[in-house]
Amino acid sequence: MTAATAAVDLDDAYSGYLDCLADADEYAATDLAIALLDAGVPAERVLLDLVAPAQAEVGERWARNEWSVAQEHAATHISEQVVAAVSAYAKSRPTRGRVVVACMDGEWHALPPRLVAEVLRLRGWQVTFLGASVPAAHLVSYLHRYDAHAVALACALPMRLPYAHRMIEACRRSDVPVVVGGRGFGADGRWARRLGVAWAPDAPSAAELISDERALRGVPAARLAHLADDEYASLLRRRGELIDSALAELRERVPAAREYTAAQLDATVSDLGHIVDFLAAAVYVDDASLFTEFVQWLAGILRSRGVPAGAVALPLEHYAAALRDFPRAGRMLALGCAALPATAH
Amino acid sequence: MTASDVRDYDPGDGRLSTPSTTRPSAWSADVRPRPTVALPPLAPDPRQAAPDWFEVVEHFREGLVVCDADGVVRHVSPVAERLLPEVTPGELLSAAGVPALSEGAPAGFIHRGRQLTARQVPLSDARCCWYVEDVTDSASRADALLAERARSAFLAVVGDKLGNPLHPDRAAAAIVRLAVPALAEVAVLVLAPRAGRARWWRGSRTDDEAPTVDSGVLAGGDLPAAIADGLTGVEPHAVDWLVEQAVDAGWLPGLAGTESAARVVPLPGRDAPVGVLLVARRATRWYDEADVELIRAFAARAGAALTTALLYRDQAEVADTLQASLLPVEPVEAAGVQWGTAYRPAQAGLRIGGDFYGSHRLADGGSVFFLGDVSGKGVEAAVFTGQLRQCLQALHRLESHPARLLRLLNDALLETTQAHGQGRFATIVLGVARPERDGGLTLTMAGGGHLPPLVLRASGEVEAVPLRGMLIGVVSDPRVGEVTVRLAPGETCLLYSDGVTEARGGRRGDELFGPERLVTALTGCQRMPAPALAERVEQVTCDWLAQGDHDDIAVLALRAAGLSARGARHLHSVPAGLDQAGETPA
Repeated sequence: MTAATAAVDLDDAYSGYLDCLADADEYAATDLAIALLDAGVPAERVLLDLVAPAQAEVGERWARNEWSVAQEHAATHISEQVVAAVSAYAKSRPTRGRVVVACMDGEWHALPPRLVAEVLRLRGWQVTFLGASVPAAHLVSYLHRYDAHAVALACALPMRLPYAHRMIEACRRSDVPVVVGGRGFGADGRWARRLGVAWAPDAPSAAELISDERALRGVPAARLAHLADDEYASLLRRRGELIDSALAELRERVPAAREYTAAQLDATVSDLGHIVDFLAAAVYVDDASLFTEFVQWLAGILRSRGVPAGAVALPLEHYAAALRDFPRAGRMLALGCAALPATAH
Repeated sequence: MTASDVRDYDPGDGRLSTPSTTRPSAWSADVRPRPTVALPPLAPDPRQAAPDWFEVVEHFREGLVVCDADGVVRHVSPVAERLLPEVTPGELLSAAGVPALSEGAPAGFIHRGRQLTARQVPLSDARCCWYVEDVTDSASRADALLAERARSAFLAVVGDKLGNPLHPDRAAAAIVRLAVPALAEVAVLVLAPRAGRARWWRGSRTDDEAPTVDSGVLAGGDLPAAIADGLTGVEPHAVDWLVEQAVDAGWLPGLAGTESAARVVPLPGRDAPVGVLLVARRATRWYDEADVELIRAFAARAGAALTTALLYRDQAEVADTLQASLLPVEPVEAAGVQWGTAYRPAQAGLRIGGDFYGSHRLADGGSVFFLGDVSGKGVEAAVFTGQLRQCLQALHRLESHPARLLRLLNDALLETTQAHGQGRFATIVLGVARPERDGGLTLTMAGGGHLPPLVLRASGEVEAVPLRGMLIGVVSDPRVGEVTVRLAPGETCLLYSDGVTEARGGRRGDELFGPERLVTALTGCQRMPAPALAERVEQVTCDWLAQGDHDDIAVLALRAAGLSARGARHLHSVPAGLDQAGETPA
C-alpha cells in the first residue's frame, strides 16, 4: 500500500470514526482503527491523523453545545480504548530510556498526552503514562523510584499554569528534564518560554525534543521577576471574597440570577471562579493575551448556551472595581472588557 | 617641580583626588594620605612651617617618575627606583626598556615578577609624571577572595542540586555533570561494585558546550588500581600513574596521559565509600591544595546525596512491594458487566489508603463485588483493607449470599481486630451481580453502614438505592440491610466512598460536595461507559476540591453491558482499565 492510498483511506475513515464516537460504539471504533492497521497504515498515523483530529472535533462540538459533557466523556473514553488497542497491535519494544508522561494536577484532558505517550512508545522509548490529574507528590515519588530520561507534562488550560510551574520545578529538583505541551502553554508555547521550560507543539516534535538531551537541558531560565509585586498571591488570597461580591452584584442587577437552581448557582460560582483563576494565571505569566483569549472563549461558550454576553462583562467590571490597587490585573481586566463583543456592554 | 605643578590638576580616577589640591594655602595641612602609608605624623597646626614637598611625596606607596617635555627622566622617587631599577634620571624613559611606561599601554603589567599599575599624569610645561604602584599583594588577595567566592558559589549550587533525594542513577549523573567544568574537563564516578559489577558515569565536554554524560559497567576485578584503592577509602597520591590508569580505562577522551592532571577522591558513604570520583583536566591547570580541598568538599556532598539515594531506593523497593499488595485490585472480567473504577488516596505520594473495592468471579457466572472504607487513613488503614480483602477472597468461596457473606466477614474482622486490639471498623457495600438473558443485570446488595449506591436509569434519571445497615467489625450480630436492583442493558450502578460527598470545596473551600451535586453530575450520563462515568465522578470531585486536601476517594461502577457487547474479541487487545498508577503494557 502506498502512502497516497493510505491517506485516502484515512480521510474516508475519519467521518466513519466520528460516527462511531457519536454512537458511543467502542467496538466499531476499535474495529475501524484495527482495519486501518491491517491495511498497512502506520500506527503513528492512525493516532495522529485519525484519533487526534477526531478528539479536537469532539471538543469543538462540546464548545458549540452540540454535544453534552456526557457525550464528550463517552467519546473520549472510546478514543482511549482505541489508542490502547492500536498500541497493543503495534507491540513496540522499548530500546531507549524511560519517559514519564502525565497530566498536570487538576488537568483531566488525558487523551492528548496519551497520544504523545504512544508515539514515544512507537519510537522505542519505554513510556510510563501516569494518567489524568497526577498529584505532584505522586509524580515526584515516581521519579525518585524510577530513573527517567525525561518527563512530558500536559496542560490544556492556561488557568493551571501556576500549578504547572510548581510541578515543573518539582521535576527539576529531581534533576529530570521536563518537556511540556498542550494548549495551556499558548498556541506558540509562549508561556512555556516564560516559565523556562522546553515546549513541543505536537507529538512528533515532543519525540524529537526528548531525543535531544542538550536541547532539553539548554532552556533559557524563567522570566518571572514581575511576581515580586505580589499581585498573584494577593489575588489568590482574595479569590473567595471576589467571587462572593461578584455573585451578590449579579443577583442585585440581574433579577433572573436570584431564581437560579442549586446547579445553576454552582455553575455560576464556578464560572466566576474561573475568571479569577485565569486572571491570576495571566498575572502569573504577565501576559494579558492569556486573559483576553479566555474571555472571548468564555463569551463564545456561554453564547452557544443561550447566556447573554453581558454575563461576562458584569463580573469583569466588578472585578476591575474591586481590584483597583492591582495595576497589572486591572490593565488585564480592562483589555478583557474591550475584547468582548460590542453587545456585551 | 613644585606644588603648583599639580595644584590645579585632578588626576581623574579619583584615587588621589582631594579637594585640597585646589586650595594651595591649606595644601600641606590638608594632604590626606591613605592610611596604610607609613608617614611621619604631620602637625595639624597650620602655623607650623610646611614640610619639604619631596619629603612628603617620597613616602607615597606609588613611585613617581617625572619626565620633561622631551621624555627625559628628571626624577625617580625611591619607591619607583625599587620597582623600576632600569629607569635612570637624565636618560630617555623610552630607552629604559619598560614598554608599559608609554602612552596607550595597559595600566596593569607584570614587571620583574611583581604586578604593577602605572598611570601617566600630564604636568605643566608639557612635563609628565608616571605614578607606579605595586599591587601584587592586593591583587593576589583579591584573586584569592574571588576564587573562594567561586568555590562557595559552586558548593552552594552543588548543595542545591544534590540536596533533594534523587534516584541513584540521577544522582550519579548529576554529580559528574556538576563536576564539569568547575572541577574537571572529564569527571568519572565509579560506584562501589554491587554483585561484582561496578557502574560508572562520566561527564565530559568539548569546547564550551554543556557537559555530556555517559555511563557503563565494569567487572569489579577490572577496576584501575587507583579506583579500587579509592573504594577502600584510600586517597591515592601518586597522581602521575593515576592518569595513565584512567587513560587505559578509556575514560579520558581528548586528554593525553602526559599532559593531564588527575585526582581521585572517595565519596564517603555510610561505612565504606559509596563510590570514587576521578577528575582530570589539562596539565595547564594543575590541581593545587585549594583545588583538592574543593574536590573533597564536593565529594562529601556527592557522597551524602548518593547514600541518601541508595537508602531511599532500598526502602522504596520494600515499600513498593508492600504497597502493591495493598492497592485495590481491578475487578475481574465478568460476563455482562462493564466495570469502571476510580481511586485517589488522600496521601498522593503514598498511593494507598483506607478505601477499597474489588470483585471475585463466582462459579455460577455471577460476580461478588464490593466497595468500602475502613476507619483511619494512610498506611495503617491500607493494611486493614488488605486484611479485609483477604478475608473476602477466602469467604466468598464458602458463601455467595451477600447478607450472609457480610455477616461472615463481620465475624472474621471482629476476631482479627480483637486479637490485635486495633478497634478498627469498616463500612461496605457488598453485592452479587448476575447477568440476565436480556443483557441486563440483577444486583443483590448487602449494606454494612456505607453510603447507599446510586443507579443511573436508561431514562437519564439517578436513583438512590435504599440500602441500610450497620458498620462491620464492631458488634457480633450487626443489622445488615439487603436490596435487589435490576439493571436494564446500559444502566449503571455506582458505588462510592464518602471522600466524594464529603469533599470540601466551593467558594470558600469549606462547603461539602454533598449527594445532591453528585446526582446532578450523573444525571443525563446514562450513555457513558462505566470507566468514563467513574472518572467523571473523580473529576467533578477533584474540581470541587480545587487542589484542597481530601479524604480517600473510591468509585466502582457496574454497567449492564447488554447483549451487543462483543467483549471476547477485544478483551485481550484492550488492556482492562487504563491504569493510572502503574505502567500500561508496552
